Amino acid sequence: MAGASRHERAWVRGARAGSAADVEALFRHHWPLAYRAAYLVVHDAAAAEDIAQEAFLAAIRALDRFDRRRPFGPWLHRIVVNRAIDWARARRLRAEISDDGTIERAAAHTRPGAADSDARALAAGLSALSPEHRAVIVLRHLLEYTPGEIAELLELPRGTVNSRLRRGLDALREAIGEELQ
Amino acid sequence: MRLRDLLRELPIPEQDEARLRSFAVVRAAFAERKPTPQRRHYLKPALALAVIAAVVAAAASPPGRAVLGSLRKTVAGEKRAAPELFALPSGGRLLVNSPDGPWIVQTNGSRRRLGGYREAAWSPHGLYVVAARPDEVVAVSPKGDVHWTLPRPRVRFARWGGSRVDTRIAYLSGSRLHMVAGDGTGDVDLCGEPAAAPVAPAWRPGLPHVLAFATTAGRIYVLDADRCSLTWRSAPFAHPRTLRWSSDGRRLLLVTRDKLVAFGARARPLDVRFFRGVTDAAFRPRSHELALVRGGEVLALDADRLRAPPRRLFRVTGRIGQIAWSPNGRWLLVTWPAADQFLFVRSPRRIRAVSGITRQFGGGAFPSVGGWCCPP
Repeated sequence: MAGASRHERAWVRGARAGSAADVEALFRHHWPLAYRAAYLVVHDAAAAEDIAQEAFLAAIRALDRFDRRRPFGPWLHRIVVNRAIDWARARRLRAEISDDGTIERAAAHTRPGAADSDARALAAGLSALSPEHRAVIVLRHLLEYTPGEIAELLELPRGTVNSRLRRGLDALREAIGEELQ
Repeated sequence: MRLRDLLRELPIPEQDEARLRSFAVVRAAFAERKPTPQRRHYLKPALALAVIAAVVAAAASPPGRAVLGSLRKTVAGEKRAAPELFALPSGGRLLVNSPDGPWIVQTNGSRRRLGGYREAAWSPHGLYVVAARPDEVVAVSPKGDVHWTLPRPRVRFARWGGSRVDTRIAYLSGSRLHMVAGDGTGDVDLCGEPAAAPVAPAWRPGLPHVLAFATTAGRIYVLDADRCSLTWRSAPFAHPRTLRWSSDGRRLLLVTRDKLVAFGARARPLDVRFFRGVTDAAFRPRSHELALVRGGEVLALDADRLRAPPRRLFRVTGRIGQIAWSPNGRWLLVTWPAADQFLFVRSPRRIRAVSGITRQFGGGAFPSVGGWCCPP
């Protein structure tokens, strides 16, 4: 993941000084991936919205303590993914909301064709993974962190990250039936 | 095949709606935040000295003494509290449950103890009170006359609902939900539904007789009690604490240990918000506005905009016990066990405090509120 861009540093500086426009710019830039990452881990749209929203609120509250030289994205993604894992674990333990296959239903809304079958297969493959495995797949292949960065974000040994990535990719490859890059 | 592209293109439901809702919340939270000026480290010692000097000077001045006085008041309890509950600020009658038994407080402050009952609650129009003994349901008049009794084991959470002429009482006997008519006849184990969690069932205001209750599995059941038909049943929510209907019966709020869940007419919640630590909630009469107790704070939130930032109505030192709206929705009763006070709050600047609550209701332990009911 690249370091903070010049734009992002300017937005954070502006937000700290009270600029609503800069907060909006930060939100527009980071919300889509934060929400998508949360959703891909928890498989529940309402929970993903809560998680991404709470992450942004936490970021707003902590703006004054934020080191402007560091990129905003990893800071936000750490909060999002850790909360998403916690939420998914809690749901698994309490079986609070039935796993109603919303992600598969979402995939079913794609246009028919090859891309459609890929999306369905990917959705099914993700659903079969544990939240911990989904989280490393999302961090590596959606948010494009290196295994070393993921280990730091999740406070895990690097070997654990690598093994989760390997197992997760094997399972997805089996579900999709093709080689994945 | 690039996994990155697949993950980025996988359709995600409600993305645009979620973005708009969340941005409104983030923008509102940001608007409440005050930007802090950049720190000048070399000024720190001088600033610290200046602040200390200013605080000392301010504390020595008459207005400063007043401010410190108000801070002390917050810590120790409202000092200008009345020694007795001379009157209710907004009419109606208050039902107070003490270890001694339930008491009714009239508008003019006169108090009457009803007897050796517990967990008393009003009938829909305040004509009777239903209460419990360990193995008995009891209906009494506000003067303390026993209307009827019904022997049942391990009675808890008796709640009375319905219209002025046709009422029902729901209660738990152990974990079984029972219903009995307002005249004490026709007691039934309600519809053979699953075991109920230790949460007070809640009648939807008015007719038909619709009851919401939580099961031990954490599901919320809403029943047409007369037909024994299930209107809807929710997904399970862990650790349910409280169920509340709005006065128009169009919203049902579930409070769990870490969530607020707003229901409309269906099993699928209108909204769910992660919100830890809420111990009491009350709909303001004739609105969907909620007052919530969390620690020492009372917060306001609209049940139709559950994810909006809550507005703080009131804060005390220590923990708040319960809240209850006056029948006209203008005053909020806040119980404050740590200070042994009832606070009647119209606004943060208009508070009527009453001290010595435990003594006034028979001593022993701080009482709870069974409801602030309708004018006679």
